[in-house]
Amino acid sequence: MKFLEYIKRFNWITFAAMLALIALGTAAIYSAGNARSGEVFHVMWKANLGTAVFGLAVYLALAFFDYRKYITVSAIPAYALAVVLLVVVLLVGTSTYGGRRWLWFFQPSEVSKLCVISMLAWLFGPTDSPPWMRGFRGFLLAAALVGVPAVLILKEPDLGTMLTLMPATALMLFVARVWRRALVVALCAAVVGGTALLGAVYEAEKPGVPEARREAIMKYVPLKPHQVKRVRVFLFPDEDPNAAGYNLRQALISIGSGGFSGKGFRRGETNHLKYLPQSISMNDFIFCVYAEEAGFVGSVLLLALFGALLVPCAWTAYVVTDGTGRLLALGVSTLVFAHVFINIAMSVGLVPITGLPLPFISAGRTFLVTVMAGLGIVQSVSIHGRETRT
Amino acid sequence: MRDDVRLVSDLSALATGVVFIVGLVVLGFRLAQIQLVDAAKYLEDGSRQAARRVQTAGPRGRIIARDGTVLADNRASVSIVVSPEGFQRRNWTETVSAISNAIESVASAIETPSPLSANAIARHVRQQLARPLVVWRDVGDEQIARLVERESEFPGFECVETEERTYPEGRLAAHVIGYVGRGETTSAAGEKFNFRDKEMKGRAGLEAFYDGYLRGSPGEVSVTVDARGFAVAEETVVEARRGPDLKLTIDPKIQRSVERQLRGEYAACAVMDPRDGAVLALASAPAYDLNLLVPRLTPEMQERYVGNHACRNRACFETYAPGSTFKPVTALAGLAAGRSALAEYECTGVFSLGGMRLHCARRWGHGPIDMRHALKESCNTYFCNLGSEIGTNALFAAARAFGLGEKTGLDFPQDSAGVVPSAEFKRRNYNLPWYAGDLAQASIGQGQLLVTPLQMARVAGAIGTGRLVRPHLRADAPVESSPLPFSQRQLAVVREGMRMVVDGGTGKLAGEGVAVPVAGKTGTAEVGRGATRRKNTWFIAYAPAENPTVAVAMVVENGMSGGGTTAPKVGEVLKTIFGEL
Repeated sequence: MKFLEYIKRFNWITFAAMLALIALGTAAIYSAGNARSGEVFHVMWKANLGTAVFGLAVYLALAFFDYRKYITVSAIPAYALAVVLLVVVLLVGTSTYGGRRWLWFFQPSEVSKLCVISMLAWLFGPTDSPPWMRGFRGFLLAAALVGVPAVLILKEPDLGTMLTLMPATALMLFVARVWRRALVVALCAAVVGGTALLGAVYEAEKPGVPEARREAIMKYVPLKPHQVKRVRVFLFPDEDPNAAGYNLRQALISIGSGGFSGKGFRRGETNHLKYLPQSISMNDFIFCVYAEEAGFVGSVLLLALFGALLVPCAWTAYVVTDGTGRLLALGVSTLVFAHVFINIAMSVGLVPITGLPLPFISAGRTFLVTVMAGLGIVQSVSIHGRETRT
Repeated sequence: MRDDVRLVSDLSALATGVVFIVGLVVLGFRLAQIQLVDAAKYLEDGSRQAARRVQTAGPRGRIIARDGTVLADNRASVSIVVSPEGFQRRNWTETVSAISNAIESVASAIETPSPLSANAIARHVRQQLARPLVVWRDVGDEQIARLVERESEFPGFECVETEERTYPEGRLAAHVIGYVGRGETTSAAGEKFNFRDKEMKGRAGLEAFYDGYLRGSPGEVSVTVDARGFAVAEETVVEARRGPDLKLTIDPKIQRSVERQLRGEYAACAVMDPRDGAVLALASAPAYDLNLLVPRLTPEMQERYVGNHACRNRACFETYAPGSTFKPVTALAGLAAGRSALAEYECTGVFSLGGMRLHCARRWGHGPIDMRHALKESCNTYFCNLGSEIGTNALFAAARAFGLGEKTGLDFPQDSAGVVPSAEFKRRNYNLPWYAGDLAQASIGQGQLLVTPLQMARVAGAIGTGRLVRPHLRADAPVESSPLPFSQRQLAVVREGMRMVVDGGTGKLAGEGVAVPVAGKTGTAEVGRGATRRKNTWFIAYAPAENPTVAVAMVVENGMSGGGTTAPKVGEVLKTIFGEL
């Protein structure tokens, strides 16, 4: 294929959106970092920008080479390596904020999500794969492939990262027609289970419930105390605004006080006066930092950019003829979307608070490279996956 | 089959894209609610949690005497303060010790030990973090120079100009002026402030009585604080304003003259204008230099002066038996009861009543004596007899008509009522019945009768003018007076008697050399028994004898006699006022 053809098939919209998001992210990290005391945070934006440049190289490399070739070669070794690293991190990883997630300078859990997606895409993508793979045994295989890393990530513990993997893999298996009935049942079970969980916590924690009844209900709720607390804050945001509800309250104050046009770059008071919890303002709560300074206009711009980034990926999945490519495009874009949606939704109080980075905006180098690599693969699908049609 | 697969997959891909869009739109709506609909509420919440209202103090007004002499003023003073913002550490303990260490190093640089304990610093960090901590108040030029020289070594420290009270006249009218301490600003009810600055607060005397008047109107500063409570920026919302000056009726010339006469004694004197109640001088000795109480009342000064019994205010707080200065009141009571001024009483030198014998100053008696001469010679037996004749009720009704036994209404924290006794009073306080002897004693100003010098100055003035006025210290206080329940003829008798006291009588030393005729009455009240027996010597006067403009009462503890000890001192004061012959 000619280089000119590459250029023609290159999805410029998603690429431009990605670059714009990197730019906004750099600014947000600059602002969040400068609010913190500590030289290391003041220069964090440079480190992140450097990582983005590295990520861009990875992106372009993965985009221009035919994904079918490298996925075939690397799916199994990458998956195996990811599992090994997840085990290693549990043994020798560095602890931060009550979790073992770091191996020297990177987080294996972030990379592993991409490895699981490529593995599933490579296995279940080809339409000519043996029929058993669309049945119960295929489902078991997929469940095992997703389950092993998921359990290891859950051990770190990193519930948020584990949860973002679920919609992506579920969608991939659904599209690949792997025992759909089970998937539908699982989806229903998840919805019913989640609702039941919320309902149970509501019943137990609503004001005026006697202690005995509370304990009787909570006995059946499989959540850790800090998770129960987060769910409670989500259900009753105005209760206890100085302790448990502090983070959500500050998140809402910073976003809301941004108003229509924002307070201006580096002028976010909630952030700069350190009301927004400093330990997570550069990561999980960076949307608050951004929204306070950029206002509603900036927030909508950000949402539009994420739309411009992800909708073309879905379009790519629609137009490609190759099953693996379709699954890759859907898997990666759904993974990124899950991060975007859950992160912003928790910042605005639509879902309970979960520790998740916002792609491109949060400071997080492993995650940034992972997302860019994933989108590079999708770009490759856009370029190479349509070849058979012409 | 294969087409079927494709179709479902394609629709799934499209559906996924739609889900992305719907999800982002949902977030957009939620953001519109927060950032557009509820933006004002969140903006307010945000500024409320970051804003601290600070009430600042306005400079205190001055206290100025009748002639413009400044009695209480403010002087510029420099304090060294430290702002906690520069000492942020991982935890509060480290922040406190960082501040504490910095203070220690400044202390050695300016060679002045820090007056603050570690607890005081910790308390400031805990409660007043957003405000600078005042370490050294009212520091000298040398200390300032040492700090400024090495300023760059001590970030966070700063010299701040403040004001301290100063009393240019030192001891003059010390008891009247009082003194100030420091306290947090106060404001109208309902006003809520996070921090209140310290300001001067009157603790005694006029500084206390007119505290609300003298205090400046407070200002307001809004401090923006970060999440830990450290100040980030501040903005003046309302400028603090200086309090108004308090103009007094005190005449420094007279006050100075009075204090000169009292020096070295345990004594007190009140001088007032009987026409409008303006207090011209109010002095108590011993006194002290008010500047010793600045910048703060130290425990040492408290013990030596302010809280010391010897330095108490004798002019309007301490009460004394009036002694013979009460006799004009007894005389008027007698006249009001219908006794004739001309009726003579045979003074034998002793008044006997049951088992009690009361001696006259003249041991061998005055012989036949009328009211005017009884006043002139201060005859005890005459007034014992007169009082006994008219009875307790008539005597004390006259005393009350002169405002004795109740507060004078002076605009001052200390304004003792004194005691006009009664049978009920004696039973309650001494568990004894009221004897005829008590009445005889009271008739000559002894016994349980107690008055203040200010009350007696008021009595003297009222006899001279016929009206009882409320004394006051503030120049523009309203004049309140009421007529005495005695006729002009009755008053004329007593006035003549009092004029005779000075004109050749027991108090003649009070009038010698004074340019105007003086009317007065001596008093020598005996207190205590045996070894503690001593005499408090009195003189009350008004002058000029016709149409008086000045009324005086002076008491000197442990004197020889009213005529010998106190009358000449009053004479000196009157000479200052009216000039010498």
